[in-house]
Amino acid sequence: MVKEIKITLFLLCGFLWLSGCGISMPDEIETAYEALPEKIDFNFHVRPILSDRCFNCHGPDENTRKANLRLDVEEAIFSKITESGSFPVVKGKPEKSQLISRILSEDSDLIMPTPESNLSLSPEEKAILIKWVEQGAEWKLHWAYTVPKKVELPTVKNTDWPKNKIDYFVLDKLESNGLRPSEEASKETLIRRLSFDLNGLPPTPQEVEAFKNNASTNAYEKLVDRLLASPRYGERWAWEWLDVARYADTNGFQGDFTRDMWPWRDWVIKAFNENMPYDEFTIKQLAGDLLPGATPENILATAFNRNHPYNTEGGTIPEETRVVNVFDRVETTGTAWLGLTMNCARCHDHKYDAITQKEYYQLFDYFNQTSEEGGGWGGKIKPLLNLSDAEKRQEMEGLLEYIDGLVEQVEVFEFEKFPRDFGLPASESSVAKELKGLDPRILLKPTDNRATGEFRVLSEYFKKKDMAYANLLTDVFAKKKSYDELASSSIMVMVMDELEEPRTTYILDRGGYNNPMLNEAICMDVPAVLPPLPKDEKNNRLALAKWLVSKEQPLTSRVTINRYWQHFFGKGIVKTIEDFGVQGALPSHPELLDWLAVDFQENNWDLKRLFKKIVMSATYRQSSKVSEELLEKDSENTYLARATRMRLPSWMLRDQALYVSGLLVDSIGGRPVKPYQPEGIWSEATFGKTIYQQDKGDALYRRSLYTFWRRIVGPTFLFDNASRQLSTVKSANTNTPLHALTTLNDITYVEASRVMAENVLLEKNNDVKRLQYAFEKATTRRPDAEELSLLKNRLADLRNYYSASKEDALALNSIGEYRTNDSLNLVDHAAYTAICSLILNLDETINRQ
Amino acid sequence: MMIKKMLHPFQEYQAGMTRRNFFGKMAQGIGAMALGSILNPHILSGAPTNPFGLATNNGLGLPHFTPKAKRVIYLFQNGAPSHVDLFDYKPMLRKWHGKQIPDSLTSGKRFSTMTGEQTARPVIGEISNFAQHGQSGAWVSDFMPETAKIADELCFIKSMYTESVNHAPAITFFLTGSEQPGRPSMGSWLTYGLGSTAKDLPDFVAMTSRDKEASCGQIFYDYYWGSGFLPTKFQGVKFRGGGDPVLYLENPQGIPRKMRRKILDNIQELNEMNHADYGDTEIHTRIAQYEMAYKMQMSVPELTDFSDEPQHILDMYGPDVHRKGSFAYNCLMARRLAERDVRFIQCMHAGWDQHTNLNYQLITQCRDTDAPSAALIKDLKQRGMLEDTLVIWGGEFGRTPFLQGNIKDVRNWGRDHHPYVFTLWMAGAGVKPGLSYGASDEFGFNPVEVPVHVHDFQATVMHLMGIDHEQFTFKHQGRRYRLTDVDGHVVKDILS
Repeated sequence: MVKEIKITLFLLCGFLWLSGCGISMPDEIETAYEALPEKIDFNFHVRPILSDRCFNCHGPDENTRKANLRLDVEEAIFSKITESGSFPVVKGKPEKSQLISRILSEDSDLIMPTPESNLSLSPEEKAILIKWVEQGAEWKLHWAYTVPKKVELPTVKNTDWPKNKIDYFVLDKLESNGLRPSEEASKETLIRRLSFDLNGLPPTPQEVEAFKNNASTNAYEKLVDRLLASPRYGERWAWEWLDVARYADTNGFQGDFTRDMWPWRDWVIKAFNENMPYDEFTIKQLAGDLLPGATPENILATAFNRNHPYNTEGGTIPEETRVVNVFDRVETTGTAWLGLTMNCARCHDHKYDAITQKEYYQLFDYFNQTSEEGGGWGGKIKPLLNLSDAEKRQEMEGLLEYIDGLVEQVEVFEFEKFPRDFGLPASESSVAKELKGLDPRILLKPTDNRATGEFRVLSEYFKKKDMAYANLLTDVFAKKKSYDELASSSIMVMVMDELEEPRTTYILDRGGYNNPMLNEAICMDVPAVLPPLPKDEKNNRLALAKWLVSKEQPLTSRVTINRYWQHFFGKGIVKTIEDFGVQGALPSHPELLDWLAVDFQENNWDLKRLFKKIVMSATYRQSSKVSEELLEKDSENTYLARATRMRLPSWMLRDQALYVSGLLVDSIGGRPVKPYQPEGIWSEATFGKTIYQQDKGDALYRRSLYTFWRRIVGPTFLFDNASRQLSTVKSANTNTPLHALTTLNDITYVEASRVMAENVLLEKNNDVKRLQYAFEKATTRRPDAEELSLLKNRLADLRNYYSASKEDALALNSIGEYRTNDSLNLVDHAAYTAICSLILNLDETINRQ
Repeated sequence: MMIKKMLHPFQEYQAGMTRRNFFGKMAQGIGAMALGSILNPHILSGAPTNPFGLATNNGLGLPHFTPKAKRVIYLFQNGAPSHVDLFDYKPMLRKWHGKQIPDSLTSGKRFSTMTGEQTARPVIGEISNFAQHGQSGAWVSDFMPETAKIADELCFIKSMYTESVNHAPAITFFLTGSEQPGRPSMGSWLTYGLGSTAKDLPDFVAMTSRDKEASCGQIFYDYYWGSGFLPTKFQGVKFRGGGDPVLYLENPQGIPRKMRRKILDNIQELNEMNHADYGDTEIHTRIAQYEMAYKMQMSVPELTDFSDEPQHILDMYGPDVHRKGSFAYNCLMARRLAERDVRFIQCMHAGWDQHTNLNYQLITQCRDTDAPSAALIKDLKQRGMLEDTLVIWGGEFGRTPFLQGNIKDVRNWGRDHHPYVFTLWMAGAGVKPGLSYGASDEFGFNPVEVPVHVHDFQATVMHLMGIDHEQFTFKHQGRRYRLTDVDGHVVKDILS
């Protein structure tokens, strides 16, 4: 059979050669070949195949490379293979290229990818590789590593449609795919969409009315400007950045101590509201402490890099914790600014992207220089920024100095009291081993690492045994206790600093904190595949931050544009928000992404300007209605022939409920608050050690942004949110029964329905108006006749029910702590509470269309 | 655009029967999809199954072969039970009691900081008494009398080993294949890959309990049953120990179930109208999920109502069975969930971390878990369910054969974390009963026969579920991930 094919192919060869194909191909490949685009592009067609199927064994990772062959660099793919004398790829000559003969081979010892790899190539992929070689095998740098350029706007047929430059790029794609843009969405839809996207809250019926009645040509732009100027803008976008920054109010892990990071959260809100340029936003958070003449506010910004979890679990090794924290900083930087997944390179050279293990530790070196030591206890672990007044700060500093002196004396004391070999802890002295009834773990700890209470335990223990020692210990305990008291009443934010004597960084073998490869000290630098650092500047964390937002560095602006784009269109131009490496998705609109990226840089990294450009586009203003035909052609809405209908994030759902009910307490910033939470959540997670103390009054009705975030068990009213364990850039949007239970039954939503009902009853004087008003508050539009009649019927039925069952009416109307308005008719109020809950659960209400 | 599709007469009949007048006059216009998902809740998990619960239509081509196990009950023992006091009998330990363990064993090994810097490491003999049990002659200590009675049902793997020396990373490694949080847990992989089987319950349920004394507990992080980078609908649903087992399950006071039904009908009708206008298929998923929520409001209370259990069954699980959130309660819940075709049931019990209280706390811990674990096996067996249910019992590592603490201070004796060898047992579907597999050295320190790595164990569980662990991958951030990372071999010798 095989022979026959070979003969036939041989006979056909002349014909095939004429038809442009230099190699014999099985039928199915030939068919696929015919359907390929005219020009094969290396970045868009070829590299994804090589990367996904070949790099695992023939990529950047030296340790797993097979046959000493690599296909990820230009020199290698066109060079002679020493053993066989053949070439992986010969430009224009598939028949002489080993790569092609191996993928076409039918011999299981020769075929690539190997059967053991569980990978294979489709006929189309094989055809692409063949055609690429035929066309001269042009090699290009991975698209995301090249500097973005503004290309000329594409010419489009329908010149009436575009409203700004974004639209030319979008329309060009639509037209070449035989698609048409959708009509513009209704004004009601647009104002609701804009209000959520820019402020995270819906518009009021009055705002909707005003917008609808404003016939001026710039009514839409005026609305956009108003929303961009609102202080709610900062709160809306701070949430997104808190997910990136893995912000929480506790350490995580056992103990899960509370920390004071919320002043940093307020710094973020302020930065957004003041429209701080994104490059400045970056530099201050990564290296504000290193800026010349750094202000306390600059230092506060660096709390960004202390937002990671912190393990103080008993038995953990401080150095391990410290190293894990540095890993986190490297990887967060990789995810947030570079769109590169760095974590693979902790242990080995990256399998796909050109990041070596050494380069990972070069980045590690930047973040390895803080005075954080990995040990410690509680939620205030140095380096700290003390936000107390000057007098209190002085007192605390004085105390610390005094305590240090005392602890030194303890050290001297213990050295004499517990003789042992140099370097061993006091617990290993034979004298210490004879001590009965004393927890040996205390003396195991270095003197400066003991907790306040441990000094008390020691002093009590030695009271009858060694008075002088006990007195000294009592003194340490007393001073430490006063310091602790002052500290607990101070706001102390964990921030970054830089050691005067730098730590030496080594590659950690397989990422183990205890396996440094001491043969080579690693110095800070950026990955070689990206542009180098400027030569003339001092190389430190500040230089890295500046480099990240430099013009030449191709990733940050693209990655940032793309991350924000997903919040307006449901997904990024590059679908893999977190991965711009060679294994990431390719951009659906590469020229648009680059155009926006350059434009962003050229205009001072101005986020409000970027957002305005996006929402002013015709692309954004389309309706999200989808026909069956369009759904079939582009189910994922890759080409944007419509707007994307999106379920609101769970935090916005809660904010919406509070806002439309009139409960929302609209103030900015401050200490985190503890709204309603079912009983026992914290205590179950902490073995009864921590009980949730729910707040009262206004604190119950603040925006979700201000909710206290216990890292081991986040707020229960949230779903699909980032867990805040590690940096998260991609928004999740699932659809499960648990979500339904939350919005139907959570006290927050029921109370909001009750208060919304009260307002509806007081605001309007008949049922039709009331139902319309309630519906409009949640959806921005009037219900149509059919919808209204359905609601009217339900209302009548509810009234009947609650007239007959006053206890149920009373029960429903007493949910939540907000005062009940006794002047209202009980039955009416209960019926409307149920109606409002119904409306708050409509798919239309929980989506932005 | 509304999808106008005639209903199959049978569907119409079922719609009428099950949900009379549900959509009222809208019935004609119900999208076939929405109705389909209401009638067939399997669509809910995004992974429909065929009537045999085998192949799925999610394009993954799973299972790869006929599975032995339909479901898994994982009784995870957080904190690490002491293998040398419970299952791995080492007469050498009593002979060496009080003597320093050979340096050749400990040098270069990592322990936690609790003994990491301790230089005295005297061996201590087991604090229990061992005997052989059943026809298989398995060694079980007298701390576990009920487990001893069912020894012939169990397959002990005595040569397990792992990599991490701390709890959270080691547990995460067992459950997700990685020490760092962020990967999908085993239950998520399985429900994602194999699809849905439970009619009106989630397919992956997690429950937690701890020792009564709460002496030394580890926290249960929700990534222990998290879905990592898989869609969140595959994450385990945590049934809570107190209050509503599922958060926000109960209707608000003043909204009785009948009223909830009517309100839901209206929501669904209005959503249908919106779908007619917008054509977004997610609206239909939403309708189906609201229906599922409604069903769970009924099925969960029924699930947790033990009044239909005969007294002798309750007795078997022990007196704690009535205490919500106890291990015994969770074991009986596990059986009830298994009966309702829940795919993966993860019961985690904390309190095995005897650093300083070995002499009195270990026995408490055994008392809490021994009878319920054994009862679950017997109960499944008598119902014929052990044949297609895989039960796993074990912790994240073992404990040191040497002492943590001062040997004279008997009350504060302890054992430190020991990842180098430990014991775990499996029972049920596809696993050889009455087998003790693998062995540790005479100190119970290192494996000497057929070491079983955590990835080997995971590969074996996957195999029993009909999955080739090397072929079952998910592409994320440019890499194909699998539960077993880049390792793992099926332990064929324990397969029946």
